[in-house]
Amino acid sequence: MKNYLLNKNGHFGIFGGRYLPEMLIPIMEELEETFYQSIKDKKFKKELNYLYKNYSGRPTPLYYCENLTRKLGGAKIFLKNEGLNHTGAHKINHCLGQALIAKKMGKKRLIAETGAGQHGLATASVAAKFGFSCTVYMGLKDYQRQKPNVFYMERLGAKVIPVTTGGQILRDAINEALRDLLANPKETHYLLGTVCGPHPYPVMNTYFQSIIGKEVKKQILKQTEKLPDYLIACVGGGSNAMGLFYEFLDNENIQLITVEAGGKGIKENERKALHAARFQTGKLGVVEGFKSYFLQNKDGQIKETHSISAGLDYSGVGPQIAYLKSINRIKTTYALDKEVLKAYKTLAEEEGIIAALESCHAIAETIKLAPKLPKEKIIVVNCSGRGDKDYFITSKYIKTKNLIKI
Amino acid sequence: MVKEKYPRTKRQVQGMRLEEGFYNKKEGNQKAEKDVQEREKRKNIALGPSIAVSKDFKLMTHIVAGYPSLKQSETLALAMADFGASLIEIQIPFSDPIADGQTIMRANALAQKNKITVEDCFKLLEKLKQRVKIPLLFMTYYNIPFTYGLERFCHKAKESGCYGLIIPDIPFDEEKQEHYLSICKRYKLHAIQIISLLTPENRLKKIAKIASGFIYCVSRTGTTGESKNVQKNLDKNLKIIKKIIKVPLALGFGISTKQQIEYLRQKAEILVIGSKILNIYNHAAKFEKMNEVNSFLSTLLS
Repeated sequence: MKNYLLNKNGHFGIFGGRYLPEMLIPIMEELEETFYQSIKDKKFKKELNYLYKNYSGRPTPLYYCENLTRKLGGAKIFLKNEGLNHTGAHKINHCLGQALIAKKMGKKRLIAETGAGQHGLATASVAAKFGFSCTVYMGLKDYQRQKPNVFYMERLGAKVIPVTTGGQILRDAINEALRDLLANPKETHYLLGTVCGPHPYPVMNTYFQSIIGKEVKKQILKQTEKLPDYLIACVGGGSNAMGLFYEFLDNENIQLITVEAGGKGIKENERKALHAARFQTGKLGVVEGFKSYFLQNKDGQIKETHSISAGLDYSGVGPQIAYLKSINRIKTTYALDKEVLKAYKTLAEEEGIIAALESCHAIAETIKLAPKLPKEKIIVVNCSGRGDKDYFITSKYIKTKNLIKI
Repeated sequence: MVKEKYPRTKRQVQGMRLEEGFYNKKEGNQKAEKDVQEREKRKNIALGPSIAVSKDFKLMTHIVAGYPSLKQSETLALAMADFGASLIEIQIPFSDPIADGQTIMRANALAQKNKITVEDCFKLLEKLKQRVKIPLLFMTYYNIPFTYGLERFCHKAKESGCYGLIIPDIPFDEEKQEHYLSICKRYKLHAIQIISLLTPENRLKKIAKIASGFIYCVSRTGTTGESKNVQKNLDKNLKIIKKIIKVPLALGFGISTKQQIEYLRQKAEILVIGSKILNIYNHAAKFEKMNEVNSFLSTLLS
């Protein structure tokens, strides 16, 4: 896997790096060191695998969507159901890993940012389990639109702080978490929730998420005796995509497709974008500690973004994903809000699975792609989370005839 | 209220006398005298003779370009210079100012709402440079010069009369990738390094080697903002830092009162007052804003 790994300076090609205030550098160095030590440590791996299995319920199923495949009449569709993890999404994978590392470093407190609330929920859960105190930063807009997760985080003992600066979404929550870390560097571990941010977060979270692809490889070989032809995942920061793709990077016959949030269409002005499709109109920049593509204006000011799903509503993208795009290893596309809602309905009605709106971006692309492919082709789509948390959004858009008002 | 005469006010002449007094007192005490010489040496290394030595420390203040308006940030800067600031940081507003506290963060957001561009900031600095003699620095985040084109940015900054750049999120570790230090050097801009009291010695040594102008030391961990208590083990940490760092030291983040200045004035060559002035400005009544800022500045240095 030599082509895809990080170089000595913490960069993937020109992307990535550690562009942080000096005060945070020693913290990242310590984290990096502990991470690399840990993954060589058999005991650490054993403990992590134990938690994956017994705490989170791994392996998650790889489910053949028979009805959906028949309906679309093309390639076979397999769904990796990460929504069946404990806490409802793939986020628990890196939270368990990072919690063990934080414990090893002797930290007492976890902080995290969250968009959809899935990462915050997973962080609050591991904090409760391992006895950390926990603070979660969440943009006010997300705080309001993902209320169920706020409620659960608080029940788990976390302090959820709504962030009122900027666009009041994921990016602002990350900024606030970084400020917290600057103020409390000794006791706190920042449990960053995606494959963005300064080195070692992208490489570390990819490592913990790569369990997804590893399981898929075993499961698909067992079920079909073949490797898949297409892997599809949605991309906010990129953690579920990197998790699915990593194991297959070397196998160039497998097409990797990322789906960004197309929002209300690829339109924007100097301050605001109606989407979060970084690979459509983003430019190279250095923000929040790493170099990658960002939605920004000509002066380098980061734009506010829009997506129906809080988890993809982010102006930057993971550096390794940007690198893979730059060498044409992955294909990037986007799904519009309305296509996402349609996919959400279709999957529910055909297969009885209510997926998170984030994951429905990947489903939407699958629905577009499958009919164009011959029947023997195999698509694996990552259903990164389940959709319970989206009630307040989906109920607004989808008319439910028989819902009795209480 | 705002005067741009040079040489400046009575206060500063007094300041110079004060300083003579300060040195005279130290006579007879060899160790103290050595300290003074050491401090003098450090001051001269970077700041050069261009700034009249008016105090035993220099004051660096901070404005956000375009906050509350472009015109008003200019007025603020002129007032600062007039009341004895020796250096001024001009922050180019950025959408994601991760190392700034609430006050400056909000100022950044408002300046952006005012549609302040990078070009506006160059023009502001150029304009100020024609009216004040003290060094003016740009403070911003790396994405701004990166997007502008680092070379082009440095060239333009130098042309505008900029003394140096303070950019918190470009650590020396990224030099191989970005060539930030070498480009600053080429355009004769001081790339001001930032450290904290907790910066480990191995990194301090590396920073000492690349230091240019002065070194900005944050006097408490955290983002910019006021704090009432100055850190306890300041002396111990500063001693370690001064052993390694040989250029002048600027202490920043959290200085807000005359008492703090009295306490810190012997400890570093430059003291930084950032968000306090903006806070005073923000909280003052509509037509009293500049008066309050001016009276705060004058009590600080009196």
